[in-house]
Amino acid sequence: MSKTDFLNIVPLFILTSSAILIMFSISVKRNHKMIYVITALSLVADFIYIVQYNAKIKWVIEPLFVFDGFAVFNMGLILMTALAVTMISFAYFEQREERKEEYYILLILATLGACVLVISKHFISLFLGLEILSVSLYSMIAYLRRREKSDEAGLKYLIMAAFSSAFILFGMALVYAQCGSLEFNGIAKYLTGYTQIPILLLTGFGLMIVGIGFKLSLVPFHMWAADVYEGAPAPVTAFIATVSKGGVIVLLVRFFTLINGYQYQSLMLIFTAIAIASMFIGNFLALRQRNVKRILAYSSISHIGYVLVAFLAGGSMGVEAVSFYLVAYFITTVGAFGILSTLSDHDRDADHMEDYQGLLWKRPWTAAILSAMLLSLAGIPLTAGFIGKFYLIAAGVNTDRWLLVSMLALNSAIGLFYYIRIIAVMFERHEGEEERQDVLHPSVYIISGVTMGMLVALLLWVGVYPEWMMSVIRTYVHN
Amino acid sequence: MELTFYVASAIAILSTIMVITRYNMVHALIYLIISFLAIAIVLFVLGAPFIAALEVIIYAGAIVVLIIFVIMMLNLREETVQQERSWLTKDIFIFPAILSAILLAEVIYIITSGEQIMLDQPSIDSSAVGMSLYGPYVIGVELCGILLMSGIVGAYHLGRQKKKIVHRFLEHAEQ
Repeated sequence: MSKTDFLNIVPLFILTSSAILIMFSISVKRNHKMIYVITALSLVADFIYIVQYNAKIKWVIEPLFVFDGFAVFNMGLILMTALAVTMISFAYFEQREERKEEYYILLILATLGACVLVISKHFISLFLGLEILSVSLYSMIAYLRRREKSDEAGLKYLIMAAFSSAFILFGMALVYAQCGSLEFNGIAKYLTGYTQIPILLLTGFGLMIVGIGFKLSLVPFHMWAADVYEGAPAPVTAFIATVSKGGVIVLLVRFFTLINGYQYQSLMLIFTAIAIASMFIGNFLALRQRNVKRILAYSSISHIGYVLVAFLAGGSMGVEAVSFYLVAYFITTVGAFGILSTLSDHDRDADHMEDYQGLLWKRPWTAAILSAMLLSLAGIPLTAGFIGKFYLIAAGVNTDRWLLVSMLALNSAIGLFYYIRIIAVMFERHEGEEERQDVLHPSVYIISGVTMGMLVALLLWVGVYPEWMMSVIRTYVHN
Repeated sequence: MELTFYVASAIAILSTIMVITRYNMVHALIYLIISFLAIAIVLFVLGAPFIAALEVIIYAGAIVVLIIFVIMMLNLREETVQQERSWLTKDIFIFPAILSAILLAEVIYIITSGEQIMLDQPSIDSSAVGMSLYGPYVIGVELCGILLMSGIVGAYHLGRQKKKIVHRFLEHAEQ
């Protein structure tokens, strides 16, 4: 391993060593505040290190990793999202008397797994990254052991994730049997001579799509999503919806562009069907829910379906659109779940519609922030979600994917209904309930407040003035 | 040599089918061990003796023993001795014994005949595995360590004993 290799891989070392540092500090003394500070600082330090990278970097660490602009941009995005999740976690876990320190180790390790996914160019690093991510998530989902639903959610995720890993492994074995290579480049080289994918390879890809589809909770592999989102603690739900899906999408984009999957009818057909099914089924199931967490779960299914539109459009515009939409979607989702976790009390999360009744009159700022997030998810102008969706449609139109684009537009209209319904509930007057008492130190609320304020500011800034974000994405993505 | 491969893989498939169709967990485990042994022979014939040894030591040895421990800890009652006696009757062992006898015959044949492996490639010994694990794939090995760390931290947190009432009806029953 050369010196440059080492310097490039430092972001992974920072995360690993901070996880070990937290473990040592737990063994000396359990101090929630200190561990929270270590976590936040290490994520910030890692982000600062990432920013130093040249945007046109192209460094390959044979045989496992590749550092290019696309990877670096998404790594930064993942680190920032993890930081936002950490920020909202503190107030949430502070109210609960269970041991909360191990959560931060798992959070950092899961972030590490997502970072490994983003830079991997080999099936081994892909699989290891995916496993680090899901093994950490098993215990993060079931973290609050006293709650009724946490065990169910954790077990469901455990069984489904283990099953999908088996699918991915079997798919990899078949791909290896045909191509004789586990590297993405090797597979791409093997495929250059073919106009149609050989049947064994197609089977392998199909099995891998099952596993990837599970991770992204695409229809028809979406069954776990609502239950896990409901049972997991709110910050963990935010993490699953953003970081764990984002890492896998980036990987999918990298693999698909490398093997140039756009020229194969069969792969395009599979992904088009999955994208359309995800958009429709996600939205229709969300319409029928009364539980806010479940609504957000189903809406995330359809949002990943939207992202697939730009992914299938391909080209540099498609990659840009995917990156931009991920940014907008991450800000919005973390914001929505952040509000949800600030409203939660120490027995349960605020996931019933009744918790939001009359929120606008009780806590106007919180309600305003949540409305902004929901409007962004719905794709209303002046928010980041609108620009993101616009970008997706532009990418789709650019390569004449009219079917997908029209489905996206239709589904945005369906989606509007259930987002507006939550906002309408917040406007209803609700009498006869006393004000909730603040139980924690006021500085905790200031931290959550500042985090939420920054997320809203970002949301509006990216929505009103998207050029800056676009130019950042362009400089990183175009190599 | 090719015949040994096909016989061993047929045994592996057959015993795995037996594993998933048994209703009794101990019976399933017996077939699981045979399945691992058969896979070990398949790997050996394909030219990976080190992985074959690991298959026997880790899977058939350590992991199955762990599962047996768990099963034993789950039923620590008076009637379990009786139960175990009824599970492990002689006719349960007949079919697994036949399968493992075939595997043993294969091993003896492979050792005595001294034939080379069936593929044209050289067989991969333990030093080659070690060289590649600690050469190009060293980051992968380290990531495996991280994976174990996250598993252990999670298991530690979730496994701590704490009285937990699963359902509100049981709350009354416990008091």
